[in-house]
Amino acid sequence: MFPSLLRAYSPMKMRCCFQRSICSASSSLVPVQLPSPMETHFWYVLPDQVKSVSLLNQYMGLLSPIEKENVLSMPGHQLQKRALLARALVRTTIARYQINGHVDPRSLKFKKNIHGKPEVVWQSEDGWCQPHLHFNISHSSSMIACGVTSNSRIGIDVEEKQRKIKNNVLAFARRYFSLHEMEYLSSISDSEVQHQEFIKLWTLKEAYVKALGKGFSAAPFKTFTVQVKTDSKRSFVLAEDLVFEASEIMVESLNDPKSLTSSWQFALLELAGSHYAAICMEKDKSIKVGMKVPVRLTAWKTIPFVEDECVSGTDAVMPIGGLIKL
Amino acid sequence: MASVSASCLRFHPLLLHSNQPAQGSFKLVSVSWPKSWFPSLKATRFRVSCAAKPETVQKVCDIVRKQLVLSPETLLTPETKFSELGADSLDTVEIVMGLEEEFNISVEEDSSQNITTVKEAADLIEKLVQKKAEAGA
Repeated sequence: MFPSLLRAYSPMKMRCCFQRSICSASSSLVPVQLPSPMETHFWYVLPDQVKSVSLLNQYMGLLSPIEKENVLSMPGHQLQKRALLARALVRTTIARYQINGHVDPRSLKFKKNIHGKPEVVWQSEDGWCQPHLHFNISHSSSMIACGVTSNSRIGIDVEEKQRKIKNNVLAFARRYFSLHEMEYLSSISDSEVQHQEFIKLWTLKEAYVKALGKGFSAAPFKTFTVQVKTDSKRSFVLAEDLVFEASEIMVESLNDPKSLTSSWQFALLELAGSHYAAICMEKDKSIKVGMKVPVRLTAWKTIPFVEDECVSGTDAVMPIGGLIKL
Repeated sequence: MASVSASCLRFHPLLLHSNQPAQGSFKLVSVSWPKSWFPSLKATRFRVSCAAKPETVQKVCDIVRKQLVLSPETLLTPETKFSELGADSLDTVEIVMGLEEEFNISVEEDSSQNITTVKEAADLIEKLVQKKAEAGA
């Protein structure tokens, strides 16, 4: 009754392949349609793959004077490159959606909300309603990522799987995580697995706080628990989409159990075999409480102006937590 | 010999003057150190005076350098923001934890968010250490 796995992949892959384009450095960005409700677009760049000095200069040309200053004030070439790529990724990504005719990444203006969360300033025209594009960025030393949604707050966090923790993991968890999370980590005897679970929890908690957009003091890590219910991992085909149910991820506020933590949905991925990425997004208001709706995810590995590779549905993007539709 | 740069002060041991004639391939040199030359943290070297003790600032710098694996040439002033050194939120939390262990204090979550520079860390540490001394003594 259900289409075979191979056929289920085909429509997805075709859609993705259409996006793949290898353009010269001077060409424009491939435009993309805004994500639909409960959909996240995830763009990431690997700094090690960006070597061309002329390309980096091109990115520098996209930045505002203040952004340029911030980039150049970083100590050392590596940190400057990372800061530059982060701004270039945000600008080029948002420009792809061509909102209000904004096609030039240079023309975008940014501000911070009262809690410090970066937002786009849209020049509103008469008769146009404010676009509801939301974004959030995260970077580790070897990956910079930008998540985009429509009409839904979003927070993302990426971390290297092998990231070294200077402090003892359990001591850290005891100090900064909730009791439940600390107990969960304590129950893991294998130190490598414990380390990995720690990193996963960290990214999920970070993503949640960043999605809330109210600053870290509004939701100190100790005051909420992220629970990863590892039931049976399975993937199934629903119509023509491939849906992964790796585990259910829930967040619960300890201070305020009645708070609307059920309005947040998580996705946890393993990226490029080297990173964990957590995405936290607000459930669409139309979804009834308790209804399980997957997060639809489309992911691109990009070198802006050079190459966009749709990687959702490939080994580069492995769902490991949450209900995800690729 | 003391070297003062924009980084935290580093003091190298003074080379002692030897009465014996120099033998071997190197000469010992004595260095006189005029008092007026002694750099004070409250001097114009730093635009904002750091109220915390130099030893506190030094220890904070050491912990930050270790956590962020900074190269010795990287400048670290009391005003340098951790984020400007490439620290992310996990680094900052680890730094705070390192400081708590080093100084035997406990930093509240709200306060830890406000630790973004060496100066802020050192000032907070001194405040907490003093509070603890007053409460415990």
